[in-house]
Amino acid sequence: MKILLCTNGSTHTVRALNLGMHVARAAASSVDILAVVERDQEEEVSQLAEAAAADLEEADIPVTIHRRTGRMAEQVIRQAQATPCDLVIIGSRGRRGVTRLLLGSAALQVIEHAPVPVLVVKGHTRDLKRFLVCSSAGPVSEHTVRFAGRLAQALDASVTLLHVMSQLPLAEGALPYDLQASAEQLIQRGSREGVHFSRMLNLLTAEGATAHTVVRHGLVRDEIIAEAREGQYDLLVTGAHVTPGLNARLVDDLSTDILLAANRPVLVVR
Amino acid sequence: MESQQDRRLIWKKLGLAILGFLLFVLALGLMKEGSGGLAPLLRGHLDVTNAADSMGLGWLMAYLILSGSPVAAAAVALLSAGALLPLQAFTMVAGSRLGACLIVLLVGLIYILRGHEQQTALTAGILSLLLTGSVQLAALPMGLLILSRGWLGRLSIPALDGLAAGVSRGLEPLIGPLAAFLPGWALFVAGVGLVTLSFRLFDRALPQVRLERTNLGQISRLVYRPEVMFLMGLVVTLFTLSVSISVGILVPLSARGYMRRENIIPYILGANISTLADTLVAAALLGDPQAVTVVVTHMICAAIVSLLIILLAYRPYERAISGTLAWITRQRSNFALFLGAIFVIPVMLIFL
Repeated sequence: MKILLCTNGSTHTVRALNLGMHVARAAASSVDILAVVERDQEEEVSQLAEAAAADLEEADIPVTIHRRTGRMAEQVIRQAQATPCDLVIIGSRGRRGVTRLLLGSAALQVIEHAPVPVLVVKGHTRDLKRFLVCSSAGPVSEHTVRFAGRLAQALDASVTLLHVMSQLPLAEGALPYDLQASAEQLIQRGSREGVHFSRMLNLLTAEGATAHTVVRHGLVRDEIIAEAREGQYDLLVTGAHVTPGLNARLVDDLSTDILLAANRPVLVVR
Repeated sequence: MESQQDRRLIWKKLGLAILGFLLFVLALGLMKEGSGGLAPLLRGHLDVTNAADSMGLGWLMAYLILSGSPVAAAAVALLSAGALLPLQAFTMVAGSRLGACLIVLLVGLIYILRGHEQQTALTAGILSLLLTGSVQLAALPMGLLILSRGWLGRLSIPALDGLAAGVSRGLEPLIGPLAAFLPGWALFVAGVGLVTLSFRLFDRALPQVRLERTNLGQISRLVYRPEVMFLMGLVVTLFTLSVSISVGILVPLSARGYMRRENIIPYILGANISTLADTLVAAALLGDPQAVTVVVTHMICAAIVSLLIILLAYRPYERAISGTLAWITRQRSNFALFLGAIFVIPVMLIFL
């Protein structure tokens, strides 16, 4: 796995660099470090990148340093498009409300435009040992789950596969059992979600990761955040559900919502 | 062969729509003619003297005939005949919207008696009532303020003014002799019966809408933007004129009859606005600018409240509605409390 680590010298990108190095030592076959100079900090940013490169090279991981000048988000996207990689790791300042509206969020821009999965480092950061993988029970989930499984195996992390049933029974013949059932009951009954869970568990096993399943009932984004808090997970993993085009205007961007609401690292898989 | 059958079906639906419209027009005429005789009954025996009374009346009448649209049409007819004041007609229309949700609940209760699961049977009805009630609660003071200050003036729909005059002239030879025979209340009751029948005919004349192959075909699985679902509810209901029918159009999109709550909540909010389109047509056909103003005020207030919710406070609102729904369906005692409240409140509005 080739990983792109990004820093501009700010505190949050330094945290991202540190976590990224931890991930890289376990999972990377090679690493690109992008040093972005936004203001007059060229020397400081270069020193950070070189120190990180030296550290990774000690672990026999080949490293290339790229230097760019300009706005962080724009340069990360350009770098990800110019040099193929499997994962981008960036930091997020965690701006909220009006500040985010006025100044924007580099992480959100990168997630929207980067062609590969993006790990956004924010909030409580520690060793990534417990993954919460959000599954929509649709075809998009397969790629997300496979990627999460590969990363979990490399980091020796456990995976919890979460699906939220927010549906309400509205038709005469609708049976509420599936809407109230646990993951085990869904798998036993062979319902649509149960079949999906079985397939995803098989995928994770094939990737060498240990996994179990959880179903929650309620509003999707609220339940994901609640599970993340209650389960003390180290990393939230979600698919980039919104595909460009008309669908982007129709479908709610849950991955962005989860990223904004979460107080821990989030991996958005594309 | 198939095209011949299709053509026959189109003619049948067209015939039903025309018959429904003629009955609708006749019913409006009967209700307007009969309303004059109802004024003493409303003010005397039923003591409908203020806006709260008329809201309770509209609410209970909608329970009685299991539909909101005929009651809303009756409200504008009563206003047009001078039996109600604009503020009273406004609250009666609001009451009719709340009462209209009972039909969905009642269908649910019948399913429970037949052994269906409580949650399945009651969700749609409770959700409709919660959404309608919450919007009406905020729209009522706004509408009363607009009407009492006369901010909208007296509105009319020029395109329908000529038709209204023609309808009035055309109905005179039919309604005049009936009015000579029958008392006002009997004309009014006949009008309510006919308008209910006309809505049934409209329902049967509706074309089959198929959304399976559209980009919105995965309503049971994906979470759509609330603005999208709101607009969809508004547009679909504009053509179906009924919230329950427009929700019914969504159901085939899910093999199991499920719908994500994130999608259905804004959909019903949108549907609640355009469901009054038939009342607007009724007001225009009565040729009474005051009645048109009342209905337009109602639609504007419901639209403002719904849009404010969608644009500014959708997440907390969605959470509150979802939480309340879960609380009501959790235990039979909670549901009994809810059921008691929706019958006690309209009665209290009339008698307190």
